[in-house]
Amino acid sequence: MRERLGIKGKPRWALAIDARKCINCKACIVACKAENGVPLGKFRNRINEEHGGSYPHLRASFEPEQCHHCASPSCVRVCPTGASYQRDDGLVLVHANDCIGCGYCIIACPYDARYFNPETRVVDKCTMCVHRVDAGREPACAETCPSRVRLFGDLHDGEGSLRHTLDSRRSQVKKEQTGNHPQLYYLL
Amino acid sequence: MSRGVTRRRVLAGAAAAAATAALAPQLGCAPPARRRRAATPTEVRRVATACELCPNKCAVLAVVENGRVKKLDPNPLSPKSRGMLCARGNAAIKALYDPDRVKQPLIRAGARGEGKWRPVSWDEALDFTAERLHRIKEAHGPEAVLFSSTEGFQEEFFKNLGLAFGSPNILRHPTLCLASVNLAYSMTFGTVPSFDLLNARYVIMSGANRFESIITPDTMDLIEGAMNRKAKLVYLDPRFTVTAAKADEWYPIRPGTDLAFILALIHVIIEEQRYDKEFVATRCLGFDELAAHVQRYTPAWAAAETDIPAAAIVRIAREFADAAPRAVYYAGRRSSWYVNDFQMRRGQAILNAIVGNWDREGGVVPNSRIALGELLFLPWDDPTAERVDEIGTRFPLAAKGDGAFLQARENVLAGVPYPVKGWLVYKQDPMNALPDRGRTQRMIEAMDLVAVIDTQMSDTAHFADVVLPESMYLERTDPLHMLPGIWPVVVLRQQVVPPIYDTKPNLEIIQGLAKRLGLSEYFDYTIEEWIAEQAAELPVENPLEYLKQHGVYAPEGAPFYGKTLAPGYRFLTRSGKIELYSPRLAEVGHDPLPVYRPPTPIPAGSFRMVLGRKATHTHAATTNNVWLIEQTPTNHLWLHPEPAARLGIGDGDLVEVVSAVGAVRLPARVTPEIRPDCVFMLHGFGKKSPQLRLAHGNGACDADVLVTAWDAVSGNAAFHETVVTVRKVGKEDRRA
Amino acid sequence: MPEPRWGWLIVLYLFLGGLSAGLFFVSALATYLQRGSGPAYPRLARVGALLAPWPLALGSALLVFDLGHWYRFYKLFVTFHWRSPMSIGAWLLAAFTGITLLSFWSWLPAATVGGWVRRLPRRLRFLRVLDAPWRETLRRPLAMLGFPVALGVGIYTGVLLGAVQARPFWNTNLVAQIFLFSAMSTGCALLILVLSLRRAGLEASEARLLFSLDIVLIVLEFFVVLPYLIHGALSPLAVREAIGLVMGGPFTVAFWVLFFTLGLLLPLVLELWEMRPVLLERQTFHPSRGLAAVSAVLVLFGGVVLRYVFVFAGQVSAFQ
Repeated sequence: MRERLGIKGKPRWALAIDARKCINCKACIVACKAENGVPLGKFRNRINEEHGGSYPHLRASFEPEQCHHCASPSCVRVCPTGASYQRDDGLVLVHANDCIGCGYCIIACPYDARYFNPETRVVDKCTMCVHRVDAGREPACAETCPSRVRLFGDLHDGEGSLRHTLDSRRSQVKKEQTGNHPQLYYLL
Repeated sequence: MSRGVTRRRVLAGAAAAAATAALAPQLGCAPPARRRRAATPTEVRRVATACELCPNKCAVLAVVENGRVKKLDPNPLSPKSRGMLCARGNAAIKALYDPDRVKQPLIRAGARGEGKWRPVSWDEALDFTAERLHRIKEAHGPEAVLFSSTEGFQEEFFKNLGLAFGSPNILRHPTLCLASVNLAYSMTFGTVPSFDLLNARYVIMSGANRFESIITPDTMDLIEGAMNRKAKLVYLDPRFTVTAAKADEWYPIRPGTDLAFILALIHVIIEEQRYDKEFVATRCLGFDELAAHVQRYTPAWAAAETDIPAAAIVRIAREFADAAPRAVYYAGRRSSWYVNDFQMRRGQAILNAIVGNWDREGGVVPNSRIALGELLFLPWDDPTAERVDEIGTRFPLAAKGDGAFLQARENVLAGVPYPVKGWLVYKQDPMNALPDRGRTQRMIEAMDLVAVIDTQMSDTAHFADVVLPESMYLERTDPLHMLPGIWPVVVLRQQVVPPIYDTKPNLEIIQGLAKRLGLSEYFDYTIEEWIAEQAAELPVENPLEYLKQHGVYAPEGAPFYGKTLAPGYRFLTRSGKIELYSPRLAEVGHDPLPVYRPPTPIPAGSFRMVLGRKATHTHAATTNNVWLIEQTPTNHLWLHPEPAARLGIGDGDLVEVVSAVGAVRLPARVTPEIRPDCVFMLHGFGKKSPQLRLAHGNGACDADVLVTAWDAVSGNAAFHETVVTVRKVGKEDRRA
Repeated sequence: MPEPRWGWLIVLYLFLGGLSAGLFFVSALATYLQRGSGPAYPRLARVGALLAPWPLALGSALLVFDLGHWYRFYKLFVTFHWRSPMSIGAWLLAAFTGITLLSFWSWLPAATVGGWVRRLPRRLRFLRVLDAPWRETLRRPLAMLGFPVALGVGIYTGVLLGAVQARPFWNTNLVAQIFLFSAMSTGCALLILVLSLRRAGLEASEARLLFSLDIVLIVLEFFVVLPYLIHGALSPLAVREAIGLVMGGPFTVAFWVLFFTLGLLLPLVLELWEMRPVLLERQTFHPSRGLAAVSAVLVLFGGVVLRYVFVFAGQVSAFQ
């Protein structure tokens, strides 16, 4: 499978995350729930928390995470029916009608981004609010955030703020060792 | 208004364009599907309104699909919400569609608190309420009815009913919240200002957990200021909150000693001549008295009081003064902490004043306002009776329109200065909002009538005689509201969907009562007429249409600093100057300069209970919201590992917390993120009302253990004066 | 992962699939090995072929009905994604099911089929063709055709796990082989069990073949499982931590006591003991029905536990 870093001249959507600014307010989780009808007990995004130190020298940090819309997504590779697929613009999605609910993709995801939807009985995940993106808007999680932690944009747009930010600031991705080429950039 | 971040502007502009262009009904944006059977067209409306899940009143674009509110998007046009919508705002959908809502008027069918209700028509419920009110008025006078409420766009109508009825006993929420900080700044500067956190370079905060307890423009400005513009944040709190985690320096200050810290800062700044001499000389009253007064408040002394090292106090004082005028000591919002709270906030105000940050960019800025029109209606005669909380004599400086709730409760229970037999409550849950829930319950028992206007069966409604259900905010149109600030704004709340159940907006409930009390003439207008009058003064064409489309009106241009620094400007104080020394305070027998008094010492083995809020819940109002409970399912008692080990308490164990007035049980959270001599529990859980199925019996209620105390000058409740003991009563419940 | 997505159903399915593969493997081997003009172990060949389709059929049925929408299982067969082990496996299983059913049919005794055909109602008389006398000639070709397919089925269950780079407990070269040898071993064991339950017990030559085969397979399993652990302990951190799940972690007892000792070591010892006269003294071999059954049951039990440990521990393991 060709690495989905996209086709020149066409957009490749991605998110950059400035986790330093995240205050763990959960706005993004509830907004996603409302926007995408996520069932109770299931989540398309989450905030990883790290607490440490010893009193009174303590630390706490918060790091949002969701589907990384990888360039080489293992979830698409392992799907036996082709229900799990990737668009040219990089968004990794699921054709709900073709999903048999085997759950292989859930296990193959290094980021625990997918879940089995008990209501529709197929696999769900963050779609980057594809219905919004196709209408020229940003995902609900990025829009709703008080701290503007998420920066959504087009990696191929040399004039865009995502490209500018990733060019001018160091960033890292998670679990590179798996070879998925994740496209969720954590600004350092 | 000036905004620094380019991409926010671009996205805001794009979103605004999309919002304004897309308000006409259109075929919906259903998600792309590969194969579609003929789909029913989705009717999508976008309606601009204002959120009511907390006091911030963020601007919202409600997305309605086929008559159902599907999503609430932030409206980027409001400077009060800056294109943001927090977890609570997003969860409002689940408040609208909460199956536990009160769906029609109810009259009590059993004993109070039994939970037996008779669903009735509005006529019957209003007849019942008015008849009882009338009876009380006949027997004891109109002052025998309390009208207590929490802020909201329709609160004014409720308050007016009380006044028109003839009762002086209007109790509003500031007396449980920010009465002390407002009064302190008013007495110093003549007004309650805002803080320019966006442009400040140095910010000191006492306990104001701006990154966690509520999401406001201050939250967003502070994130921008501290994270991006590298402002320094010094934060004092007995708890390691989210704000502590983001701050440059966090000090686990001994609770109740903030004034010592502040006085020591003033001491250093004056001693080292780092104050703004020109400003102090020309605009302030009483500097010499202040200088003499703070001589004894040395850093070494303060270090012993506060547990903050003396060297740090000196350094912070110097850094603060050097950064001035772009340095602020943030006032805070909920200031209902200790019995000396007013004086502590006075200390803050004085500190801010002497470094000359008043009305400057990055400093403490008086609010700008936008003039709204007013519907002129028939005025009533002012009530003649004295207030039951005797505020005129006990708290002569306090805001009379807000009252002193806890003093009122004491007096009502004692039957002085006269009996109070009726209690009307609007949008408030005194059983949870007041300390010592048992005492509030006794107050209810003393009443002949308890009537509650609310959207849900709060604990107070559960114990009431009649519940009059108000429509939820998405179902109502409300008066326009002007939000003052550095960037003021006018917001509109307009109906998004018709009421799902048999509920009414507050105005119609008030009008129903007024009609039966012979007070119709004071409420003979519709909400549309009211709003039209308000909007008429706005400097736009077709202001009402403009508001309905955009949801907000915000003036163009950058804020103007320095209006009050014009030569000859007269501050709204008696001297016309900023009063460091307050003669008015001296007149009524209070300290004209803040005198430090240490908080009550905690006996060894006991703890001070401190309170706070979380981004996912608004006080006690949202603990039945399924999406918010999913994020914060219950509350725990925070306990430091050292005392936990001594008491044999492990993380998750069930503990009993005992105070002088009550006891509760809840699981412990053993964490180093709190001082060893303090405990903490989140407010809003442990409800008694079984109709709130998610909140009923879930966790524990802090009001059951909090003792009654109040600030001596403002009458503001003091919630952090409770001493408790803790013991283990059970092992960790792994199912929890 | 916050909670395991694959549970006991998958464990059972992997076991049953491996069992079918192992049964056919032995049956095919027994068919292929000739003595004179016929198979050397006709009864093993027959019993193995008759049993082979059914464990997998049961496992597949359980699996299909556990899907999100069970009737959508057909979508596995309208497409082929060569990079998805599950897609390859679906087709492999389809081929295997076809071959084993044909083989089953080819090995049915003539009397059984004849009797059944005679009792057919008039409308279903066309099914008489099933009693074709040339059925038997298919036995050997099917055995040879199905032999690699059976190996494919035995190994694919390991590839299914091994190909998931997100799960360090699985993502090694040796996992597929562990599953293959275990599958073959469980096939032997079931045949030992079934035949030892006959009144007459196992025939000596059958017993020699099966025990020898099983001993070899168990030893091979040792030589895959132990390198898997040693190699893992010398691998990057994520793999080391994953191996830790069975070396002190929550799956330690299941792995070392239930699988390694009860499922590998003990049966090996029992089988070696049974084979003692053959190995040491070159005497005739009288297999004990009881010991044979016990060691077979232990091998089968070990097969289930092995798959339990892998399915569950794998889903716990992750990269940091």
